[in-house]
Amino acid sequence: MGKVQEFIHYMGNKIDHKIEKKKRFYFNVKNTDLRFVVDYLFNKMECRLSTATGMEMYHGLEILYHFSDDKNGQYYCPRVVIEDKENPKVNSIVGIVQGAEWIEREIFDFWGVNFIDHPRMEKLLTLNNDIIKEKPMRMRRES
Amino acid sequence: MSKNKIPIGPFHPLLEEAEYFELTVDGETVVDIDLEIGWMHRGHEFISEQKSFTQSIYLVERICGICSTSHPLACVHAVEDIDNIDIPLRARYIRTLVGELERIHSHLLWLGLAGHFIGYDTLWMWAWKYREPVLRMCEIVSGNRNHYGIMRVGGVAKDVDTGAIPDLMKNLDMIDSKIVMVANAAKDDPVLKARLKGVGVLSYEDAIAYCATGPTSRASGVPSDIRRDDPTDAYDLVDFDVIVASNGDVYDKLVVRLLETIESTKIIRQCIEKLKTVKGPILNNVKEISPGEGIGRYEAPRGEVFHYMRSDGTNRPIRHKVRAPSYVNIPTYSASCKGISVSDALITLAAVDPCYCCTERSLKIKDIKKNKCSFNLLDLSRSKTKRIRRKFNGNK
Repeated sequence: MGKVQEFIHYMGNKIDHKIEKKKRFYFNVKNTDLRFVVDYLFNKMECRLSTATGMEMYHGLEILYHFSDDKNGQYYCPRVVIEDKENPKVNSIVGIVQGAEWIEREIFDFWGVNFIDHPRMEKLLTLNNDIIKEKPMRMRRES
Repeated sequence: MSKNKIPIGPFHPLLEEAEYFELTVDGETVVDIDLEIGWMHRGHEFISEQKSFTQSIYLVERICGICSTSHPLACVHAVEDIDNIDIPLRARYIRTLVGELERIHSHLLWLGLAGHFIGYDTLWMWAWKYREPVLRMCEIVSGNRNHYGIMRVGGVAKDVDTGAIPDLMKNLDMIDSKIVMVANAAKDDPVLKARLKGVGVLSYEDAIAYCATGPTSRASGVPSDIRRDDPTDAYDLVDFDVIVASNGDVYDKLVVRLLETIESTKIIRQCIEKLKTVKGPILNNVKEISPGEGIGRYEAPRGEVFHYMRSDGTNRPIRHKVRAPSYVNIPTYSASCKGISVSDALITLAAVDPCYCCTERSLKIKDIKKNKCSFNLLDLSRSKTKRIRRKFNGNK
């Protein structure tokens, strides 16, 4: 059994909407299961968090995490979908991955997503900029 | 003793990109560091979503002057990943050739700056002198010394002229011997060793926790290199070693970069040899991109450059995420700067290669109580090297 299949087997019904491509594995995960999945990827499988991508789709806001298994070049990408666009909230993973601190702050800054239990939930890139409006990456969808 | 704050930046001649560091010092020891970024935010991701896939390549080429191959390469890899597009063999060698030339000139640029920061101006002049032929090689291959503009989805836009290969080889032979000479001189220098060993240590555990990449993590013993782990272009067709050190200090970061430069010359030689014999097209004609998502990455001189593209089937991305290596390497200051002396702060900050521009004029230490600038951080760093050098020379 390959590592991806092992991962799928271990996660069971915690993950769904699986898309498997060559060295890429995208899947959905519920906010309540996010920390469990991230803990397994980071601590058990020793994957490295490359970054996380915020997106606004018709069905809600998406946070797509990119975990790289550097031993074989495989990417594991858990996706959390937040349907509440007005007050988006996701569990922070900073307690598990220290390197996620800036990544989550940037998503908060650009997309307005609040990360629960983040040690320093403040803007990262537009902190000192009075001209840029709130949640700048969502502007074109609102106008 | 009362604690003082040392502000560095945000708009500062020493920093090529505007960033703000605030060092908290207790006497001469740095006890904390706070970072503030965003002063140079240009909205590339937002702009890219209004451009076609090909226009996005030109856009991301302007993110960084030094990484002007790494971003376009990661960008085309992301688009190619959506549809699993094949690249002609000749184009794969050309991409690898340009990527490695960029690695050499970036590492030599850093070596020169690092030499200058610690008062080794000879090293600075050597490194930049031998960087010049590398830029000449870039010009021969692409037509430009920087911002090469040759990456395309499905291959490259410009072929390497067969008549230019002897000229490339001549330049490479010259660079090869000089780089070995500079590398040996730098890593065997007793003063340099005494000055940099044990300074600004980033432990293996911290490198993992902060998700550091590139020479910053490899110097701490993390054996990660995208060129080997997830090979694209011609990296699975050439021989090279991944350089890993173990101490995580500034000296090991120096050694990793120096030895990587020598490995790059080996890769370039193999690519040029192959370009003599491998003929054929350099570009696959890609007409459209299917709906889907793709990840592209490339081992830039500073570490992993990451691009994510999502397509809805039109000619432009609906989401383009970019993550440069400095974004994950700069937060490691929180681990590597604590406990070091103020005179080591400058070289520790420079050791992750965060796009420094060298000038000494206005980096000042500010005493909050007296509210006046007292002394110069660059002078502190250089005078420490002088003291060590004098010690080695018997106080002469």
